[in-house]
Amino acid sequence: MFRTALLRSARSATSQAVRSSAAIARPSLSSFVVTKSRFAPAAFQAARCYSAAAGLSKPEVEGRIVDLLKNFDKVSDASKLSPTSHFSNDLGLDSLDTVEVVMAIEEEFSIEIPDKEADAIHSVDKAVEYILAQPDAH
Amino acid sequence: MALQAYRHLLRSTRLAFQGDIPLLHAARQEARSNFRKNASLSIDDPALGTAIAHAEEVAKFLAENVVQGKHEGDNMYKLRIHEQTERGDNDTVKAPGGGKPIVIDGKTCGS
Repeated sequence: MFRTALLRSARSATSQAVRSSAAIARPSLSSFVVTKSRFAPAAFQAARCYSAAAGLSKPEVEGRIVDLLKNFDKVSDASKLSPTSHFSNDLGLDSLDTVEVVMAIEEEFSIEIPDKEADAIHSVDKAVEYILAQPDAH
Repeated sequence: MALQAYRHLLRSTRLAFQGDIPLLHAARQEARSNFRKNASLSIDDPALGTAIAHAEEVAKFLAENVVQGKHEGDNMYKLRIHEQTERGDNDTVKAPGGGKPIVIDGKTCGS
């Protein structure tokens, strides 16, 4: 008797927790600010989500790469930063800097880019294209 | 070639000094300054090949022979041994020199 009551109350508590966190679990992906806050979910402990994460959107990837380049001190002219800028032609980076940028992109999206592909990334849009093609980038 | 070595080196520093930001920065700073120093070597300079080989060796060493330890108190350290860490194999100890007899004073062992 006591056990069933306990179970029932526990069940209703979890379902409530799931319901309340469901609103947080579905942020509108269009806003970049909202997606950033996804990394510090406070109410997420109540229910685990085993579903696959939604893929990255192009504006989000672009925004993250441009932000990363903004913080890179070697970029000579930050005003030239755009989703289409070329690392050496527009941003004044040499080949060693490019390697560092690609490495930083790897760390940002927690993936490992093989040497051959990494050598071919010379511009922001190339990097965005590559990241979007990676299913496990996040 | 040099760029690949640089990439391998940076990747090894990430593996060897994971979560240790000051050391990671110091290692990358060192790698960067050394690569900058040799950046002006011409393509047919013999020193170029040596420098690249050196970088690759450092990368290999960092990945395989450096292990992070965390002090857990009580003279105890917790080591973070990862999959690339070089691990000795007892069989290699039993067969020194890859199974070839060892030469001592010109005489071979076991003869």
